[in-house]
Amino acid sequence: MFRIGNSYLMEIVRVEHVTKQYAGHKALDDVSLAVPEGCVYGLLGPNGAGKTTLIRIINRITAPDSGQVWLDGRPLQPDDVYRIGYLPEERGLYKKMKVGEQAIYFARLKGLSRREATLRLREWFDRFGIRPWWNKRVEELSKGMAQKIQFIVTVLHRPRLLIFDEPFSGFDPINANLLKEEILRLKDEGATVIFSTHNMSSVEEICDHITLINRSHNILSGRVEEIRHRYGENLFQIDFLGDGESLRRELGERFGTVEGGEESSLYDSLRVRLDTPDRIRELLSLVNDRVAVRGFREIIPSMNDIFIKAVEGKLQI
Amino acid sequence: MGKTGVIIGREFNERVRKRSFVLTTILTPLLLVGLMVAPILVSRLGPDQKKEIIVVDRSGVVAPRLESGERLSFRPETESLETLKEKRKDVYGFLVIGSDVLTNSRNVQLYSYEAPTLEVEKELSSRIARVVEAEKLKAYRIDSLPQILQQVKTEVTLQTFRIDEQGGEQERSGVLSTILAYLSGFLIYVFVFLYGAMVMQGVIEEKSSRVLEIMVSSVRPYELMMGKILGIASVALTQFLIWVVLIFLLGGVVVPLVAGDALAEGTSALSGGMAGAMGPLSGIDADSLEAFRRVTDPAFLGRIFVGFVVYFIGGYLLYAAMFAAIGSAVDNVTDSQQLQTPVTIPMVLALVVMLAVMNDPDGGLAFWFSMIPLTSPVIMMARLPYGVPFWELVLSVTLLYASFAGMVWVAGKIYRVGIFMYGKKPGLKELMKWIRYKY
Repeated sequence: MFRIGNSYLMEIVRVEHVTKQYAGHKALDDVSLAVPEGCVYGLLGPNGAGKTTLIRIINRITAPDSGQVWLDGRPLQPDDVYRIGYLPEERGLYKKMKVGEQAIYFARLKGLSRREATLRLREWFDRFGIRPWWNKRVEELSKGMAQKIQFIVTVLHRPRLLIFDEPFSGFDPINANLLKEEILRLKDEGATVIFSTHNMSSVEEICDHITLINRSHNILSGRVEEIRHRYGENLFQIDFLGDGESLRRELGERFGTVEGGEESSLYDSLRVRLDTPDRIRELLSLVNDRVAVRGFREIIPSMNDIFIKAVEGKLQI
Repeated sequence: MGKTGVIIGREFNERVRKRSFVLTTILTPLLLVGLMVAPILVSRLGPDQKKEIIVVDRSGVVAPRLESGERLSFRPETESLETLKEKRKDVYGFLVIGSDVLTNSRNVQLYSYEAPTLEVEKELSSRIARVVEAEKLKAYRIDSLPQILQQVKTEVTLQTFRIDEQGGEQERSGVLSTILAYLSGFLIYVFVFLYGAMVMQGVIEEKSSRVLEIMVSSVRPYELMMGKILGIASVALTQFLIWVVLIFLLGGVVVPLVAGDALAEGTSALSGGMAGAMGPLSGIDADSLEAFRRVTDPAFLGRIFVGFVVYFIGGYLLYAAMFAAIGSAVDNVTDSQQLQTPVTIPMVLALVVMLAVMNDPDGGLAFWFSMIPLTSPVIMMARLPYGVPFWELVLSVTLLYASFAGMVWVAGKIYRVGIFMYGKKPGLKELMKWIRYKY
């Protein structure tokens, strides 16, 4: 069994021991994970790790060789996919069709009436500021523009579960931000969002949970904050005014590793690695005794660091 | 049906609004009627210029009896060919008839300034031949010979009847049946491939542009495939109906207009032209007037029309399902060639067999090939104008539509797997494997 952190939220998706073999290589090897309802869930991993395969299995595009996928506590049924909003990695639209007409077509395939689809689309087009595109042909749009349309089409019927495969690829920073905001807004409205990415900054900003897949294995799962703390290295930074040289010597004798902190013209800065977090008080009182402390904080590794270390196999898991 | 309906709607609207659709729908009947009318127009424009031919008759027999007609005028001269050539350069040519023409009919020469048309050559030879024949007959000294010949002259127009099972007799015309059989069999062949390929291209386009990936989370692949097949079927039927209406309208207005009061002449030229266009069937315009009259028999035409629609739809559906499966398996049109071959063979075979079937529309070959669903649309259409027993029709149509249902099931399986397979070019064996694939 598999549990995420301390969260006892209702699970919307559960993947159990899924294995998928392609000719020549194993895309997924005994991968398990659970997605709590109402969160933003990041699927991380280097290229070719098996993220897309997993997403395609959840969407029933391909079948796993073994293992099972559950949705809302029941094994995934063929018709369940119609309750999922899925944005595939390879995106495509009918090139010759007009934008508005095409969006209405996809919306109707998802069960919306023409009237309802038009109303909702108008709203979305206004929000993205793309109203003037309505009567353009898709072939006249840039890649980023077409991607916006596809995002809208994916979320238009307000599914409870949204799965985006690499939603940020091809977006400039401004539009990537717009997308982040929209993902958080969808979450606020109660949707669960699963997305795959290797854009780490987006992970810290919007993900509640992550799973890191590397070489077809799930090597790390959990709440983002918890993971970052779990892999904290008891590294503390002290910003201060006073005699840095003697402090450095003294700290080195008592605690071992000492390195320079962030450069600043206002104060000096040192970083100390503790062998156990219990010695924080000891550190603080010593420092407080010697210099005028301006700041004290734990240096928590970024997801980017954890990602790189985990993938390179340097992380103790 | 809801979602399939939406897909059919899109397929139909997108295709019908294309400029190429509008153009082919309007231009094809114009072209066809134009092809029918052209021979009439040509025959009316033809005789405008009279061709003057100077006759140097050394036998003295032929020249006096060559009467100037509408197209050719003859002027006998006695001077030698060389001097005439010097003096008269404004004529069409010089006809030299040897003195021994009665015994040596080869001794006739035509010298002309431009290459003589086949028509002129034919007319000259037959006229001279008639004169010579008459001269020869005169030698037998039978007084009333011309009258006798007139009375003896006979033309046979064969009326054929088919004895049906009830012992009744059905009239049917050989010539008309042949034309109709050939035409409708061939049209089915063309239409099935035309629109079947359209289905395949549509699927390939959706697959290679990755539109399908978006749609899988909203529609069942099976609905997607059926929507495309039925959508294009509705396009095909629309186009076909517009063609039929336009051809009848245009034909009804233009043909009498062009032919004017010489309608009989016109119709004969018309069906002559049709037969000429048919290549292997040329030279069958002997009783074309009679045949043409029967074209206007609504009951007969209606039967052919209904048969055509039923067999076209059935044949199209069967082949479209196979084309959809092929389209789903490949990434682009060039890759599809290899897989198309096994689909094309039965159709081409049907076209080849059709010629044999028309010679023996009730034989064993005809029967079996009109039962096999892959060939029955073409072969049955080729047999239909000759009359086919009702039970054979029912059986053949049932087999056709039943095999469509089976084929759609198989194609749906292949389609489901194929649309998400990229990169490798699958062979026929692989496709067979996909049918049993679990997903």
